[in-house]
Amino acid sequence: MPSEQDLSADVVIVGSGVAGSSIANELARAGISVIVLEAGPRVDRQHFVENFRNLENKPSYQGPFPSVPWAIHPPNQMTPNDYLHTTGPDAEAYQQVYLRMMGGTTWHWAGCAWRYLPSDFELKTRYGQGRDWAVKYEDLEPFYYQAEVMMGVCGPDPAVEDLGSPRRQPYPMEALPISYAAQQFRKLVSEKTPYRVVHEPQARNTRPYDNRPTCEGHNNCMPICPIGAMYNGSYSVYHAEAAGAHFVPNAVVYKIERDSANKRVTAVHYYDPDKGSHRVTGKYFVIAAHCIETAKLLLVSADEQSPDGIANSSGHVGRNMMDHTGVQVTFISGDKALWPGRGPLETNVIDNFRDGTWRNERGAYLVHMVDDNQVDLATSLAISKGYVGRELEEQIRYLASHTVRLFSHNEGLADPDNRLTLSQTHKDVLGIPHPEVYYKLPEYTVKSCEHTRGLFRELIGLMHGTDEQWTPGYFPQDHPAGSTIMGTDPRDSVVDGFCRTHDHENLFIASSAVFSSVGTGNITLTVAALALRVADTLKKELAHA
Amino acid sequence: MAADRSCFPTNIHLASPNAMRMRRALRMSRRDMLLGAMGAAVVALGASRPGFAATEEADPVVPLFLAVSRRLTDRDVLDPQISHALYAGIIHANPERREQIHKLHDLMASGSFASARALASAAEHSDPVFKDVIHEIMTGWYRGVADQKVVVYRSALMFDITKDAVYPKTYAAGGPFYWTQTPPEVAVPTGEPALSPSRFVVEPT
Repeated sequence: MPSEQDLSADVVIVGSGVAGSSIANELARAGISVIVLEAGPRVDRQHFVENFRNLENKPSYQGPFPSVPWAIHPPNQMTPNDYLHTTGPDAEAYQQVYLRMMGGTTWHWAGCAWRYLPSDFELKTRYGQGRDWAVKYEDLEPFYYQAEVMMGVCGPDPAVEDLGSPRRQPYPMEALPISYAAQQFRKLVSEKTPYRVVHEPQARNTRPYDNRPTCEGHNNCMPICPIGAMYNGSYSVYHAEAAGAHFVPNAVVYKIERDSANKRVTAVHYYDPDKGSHRVTGKYFVIAAHCIETAKLLLVSADEQSPDGIANSSGHVGRNMMDHTGVQVTFISGDKALWPGRGPLETNVIDNFRDGTWRNERGAYLVHMVDDNQVDLATSLAISKGYVGRELEEQIRYLASHTVRLFSHNEGLADPDNRLTLSQTHKDVLGIPHPEVYYKLPEYTVKSCEHTRGLFRELIGLMHGTDEQWTPGYFPQDHPAGSTIMGTDPRDSVVDGFCRTHDHENLFIASSAVFSSVGTGNITLTVAALALRVADTLKKELAHA
Repeated sequence: MAADRSCFPTNIHLASPNAMRMRRALRMSRRDMLLGAMGAAVVALGASRPGFAATEEADPVVPLFLAVSRRLTDRDVLDPQISHALYAGIIHANPERREQIHKLHDLMASGSFASARALASAAEHSDPVFKDVIHEIMTGWYRGVADQKVVVYRSALMFDITKDAVYPKTYAAGGPFYWTQTPPEVAVPTGEPALSPSRFVVEPT
């Protein structure tokens, strides 16, 4: 193991989430030396589980994951925020949360493992909106499958339920049986509307897989699966370490050093928690530090050679910030008891609006009927209504068994004006500026959200719903993308179709930061597929070096 | 350079949310002590440690809280240890609650209240502050929360009354795919609220 005073490896990776750790695993297994620098600490699952159980505000997804001073992450989705400062007319719609910890933000994801649709990669060509990717679905298909095998994804048989993304192989595991509540919802939608409810593909075990157990339905995928039946980045960390990759926690990269020609990266520099500085050299470098932190690092590293930041000759680093904006409603069904909260959190989706010719004027979306245990919410609500004693208990049972929550992922659009910059007013304890994001919802997304509200009203009516509680405005779905956008033209993009920066031949970015459009499915599987493609490129180039 | 900066323990991330709140409370208390309010700070710290037998012996309101709780939950049996911990949390958050709980018990003893609803309704009618007291008692027993901290999780009554259908998150025990089975039906409730309604506040995610 190299000394931390003089670290060097074939490939140096910044960030240990799904992207960074899966690349590290692939390379280490091929005999390539790898160092992964993670800004945050290494913490074990049981600590997060204990934190969750002790948390008063159980729906707080960030709650069980307190950040460390040298690697702060957003404490919640409140605006103003202690870390991610959002501005602009729709600032609150971009108040993302994420984690800076070994294993990354998939500590609290719901395991939703969607492939993008072929059309998502060709939004401009097919619909005249947004931008095309510099990679097509067919290029990514083998890596999607590799990512599904790596994570352990369960999903439906395409012959029975075609999700629109062509497959050469079946899902590694059979689809998860949906809950009674989801079955009733599916039946209603099937019988009373022209739409359909499909099984959501999920990185969750429907049988023992990769030395992890079968899902037991603890209903706590977010914020923390207590038993590891759901994949998260920590498993790729453990596999990569077993293969020889070297992970350094609490290593906050703050500078990217290049050669005199400014063509090749020669080293990255990181601070330890006491602000001791360390230099790490390598042949290739991958920034896999989450969409927001990746852009922040490239901008923080600005110097005389690159006054606007690294890999930023286009001026597009930090621009084109996208997300899946959400519409959400909670209501009380007037039909039979559903008892949501039995099984995993998100298992079923209305997918009819993921694609269509109307995408030339409004964004696509998908709808989750969230299978969330509503007992705590029902209790707070019944107490606030003034119930006590026996009547309170009746109310809790009724509300917990009849509460329905719907939410959507509405497609954002690349707009260079939606931009991440470095805060001029806030710095962390190491002196590194906080990120700041200006955000105005694209009209394309606003129209999509309006369509969703119409669908939700239709569904509420069909379920004889009452007590509608609409989440005000628009809310972020924590799927940020676009900050180092992919494209074929170096004048208006940061990376090429292989996620290699146009400006620096040995610098890659593995993150949703490279997305050219954001589609509707959760972003993680596409992040993993792109990362595995980066690993494939690096293996080939290092083999020929 | 490092000497100029605050020194953070590298295991700070291992603290539980409750422990972190406690640490903030302790920091505040030290500052108070420096300002001369030593006595008050020590009392506050003592009250923040529920479950000490000495508190029960010293505080005659502890059994009154349990008696009031039994009436307000329409239950004959409640766990005295949980009761004690909830009481400690409630009066730590607001020391005036001790006297108010005492008065609520006096009100209960002065009449014949056959149900939680009867007592709660009469209490709010006699003094609006009792509505807040009753809310905190309900929140304590049913959500397991007092002083914005988790006192009990699995043992909160909200899980007792729903255990035929759902598990507390992270404690499922039905085996894989239990969730496909049909859960129990629930009749539309007919009971009326006892207290005037309050604004429902959803905490940030």
